[in-house]
Amino acid sequence: MKKNYILLIVLLLVGCIYPNLPFAYLTVGITVLLFSGWATSWNLLGGWAGQLSLGHASFVGLGAYFVALGASQFNLAPWWAILLAMLFAGILALLWGRLTFGLSGPYFSLSTIAIAEIFRLVAINEEWLTGGASGVFIDILPQPFGLDFFSKTTQYYLALFYAFLTIGITIYISGRKIGYQLRAVRDNEEAAMAAGINPLNVKLKAFVISAVLTSIGGGIYGIFLSFIEPHIIFNLLLSIQIALTVIIGGRGTIWGPAVGSLLLVVSGEIFRTTFAQANMLIYGVLILVVILVMPRGIVGEYSHKMIKRKYAKRA
Amino acid sequence: MQNALKAENITVKFGGLIAVNNISLSLSEGKILGLIGPNGAGKSTLFNAITGFTPIAAGKILFFGKDVTSQPSYVRTRSGMGRTFQTERPYEELTVLENVLVAAFLNHPKKKDAEEVAMFALAKVGLVDRTHQLSSDLNLARLRRLELAKALALEPKVLFLDEIMAGLNPPALKEMIEMIRGLTAGGISIVMVEHIMEAIIKLADHVIVLASGNKIAEGSATEVINDPQVIDAYLGTD
Repeated sequence: MKKNYILLIVLLLVGCIYPNLPFAYLTVGITVLLFSGWATSWNLLGGWAGQLSLGHASFVGLGAYFVALGASQFNLAPWWAILLAMLFAGILALLWGRLTFGLSGPYFSLSTIAIAEIFRLVAINEEWLTGGASGVFIDILPQPFGLDFFSKTTQYYLALFYAFLTIGITIYISGRKIGYQLRAVRDNEEAAMAAGINPLNVKLKAFVISAVLTSIGGGIYGIFLSFIEPHIIFNLLLSIQIALTVIIGGRGTIWGPAVGSLLLVVSGEIFRTTFAQANMLIYGVLILVVILVMPRGIVGEYSHKMIKRKYAKRA
Repeated sequence: MQNALKAENITVKFGGLIAVNNISLSLSEGKILGLIGPNGAGKSTLFNAITGFTPIAAGKILFFGKDVTSQPSYVRTRSGMGRTFQTERPYEELTVLENVLVAAFLNHPKKKDAEEVAMFALAKVGLVDRTHQLSSDLNLARLRRLELAKALALEPKVLFLDEIMAGLNPPALKEMIEMIRGLTAGGISIVMVEHIMEAIIKLADHVIVLASGNKIAEGSATEVINDPQVIDAYLGTD
């Protein structure tokens, strides 16, 4: 665990230096960091607790809409808007989880698709509040201590802070009782019950933490986009991308989501600029290859091998 | 001496089938109760009913005088019931130590303390040299012992052992019998479902024989194995 914290600090320093490098693309950097944060948040529920969500775009959208509506309609500073979004996301996850964790097999996953769909329909139809299908535009944001939220550099550091917050929380959780309980429930629910664990309770904790953390990144995403459209943000594709990032990087690992987002966002960017129309095809093939060759994901396969090797040495 | 466990008139039904029919049992502190009977007699079902993994149709379960009948299994675990499963249930992506840690966390929320308890349990079952191996890589005999270590790390008051001896070779069996005897010396009461008669004869203070969901005999081990009804149940009449 100590090693992970050290790696976290080293990477944070690298992240701080990045914008000053001559080849730095801030937009790509922000996207990688936001995806890292979302994927890491998703991983707490999908990887550690084993509950696949295909609705995390809801929490991204929640954060983005709260910030945008706060700025455009209620004169609410983004940090208050994000706090409200976190509260809302947490309560939503709690209620949704209570309702659906009783379902077995893939039904929880299917039900999560509905959350984003409901939000999308609300955002499109409740025009008085959400600006309807044409979306919301953020035209003005406060400037605390002269900080310009519209500058890419500010947004980059916000995203950097966010990504490292989620990874830091994951490291913290992984070494504690709750981290072990999450994995126990994932691997064998009945055995977990025989160890005195209430599976519903553990899954709810994971869902709430995951949703709250995702909504923070959503808020930053809102600032980054500064224009939010319901069909883009409450999109099943975004939910799937978040899930896929973790599956490729390594479910139930600490660094998998970050590795996955670096790989997917950067390669997606390169493919888009060099292969134009063919980029989605290549992207798809890449995903397929990783899943076939490394079913536990990149970091997952690596740490699995390390455990085996460590043991082989001792024996 | 106080009753550690008392089950009154337990009935379990699977649809129209009565798997356990109106069975009562009691267990004093520090004693070992053996449950035997032919396959399909309802031993494991009774076991699951008492530990809260199978709902009961009728009856009452008292644990140290407290009615736990309506409690879910994990609450019963917290109040001191530890169990193993007949088919091993490891957390496959976790190492041996981590598997036991999950249980040790029940009474020791700090990782350092939990690790100590887990290592102690692993030492008891002889798995210390396997701590960092993935549990999915263990062979069957070791998985059995892992099950036991997980139950021990809960520091239970009453331990439920479901065919823990099955598949052990004679020296391992002897070791296991001694280990379980040692547990009762430490004050743990035990309910064991077992097919291996040697273990029952050496360990059980009291034996209940089940056949087709009914209690057909009870008493000391030597009494019940000489009971003609029991011999019939195992070997058939004519």
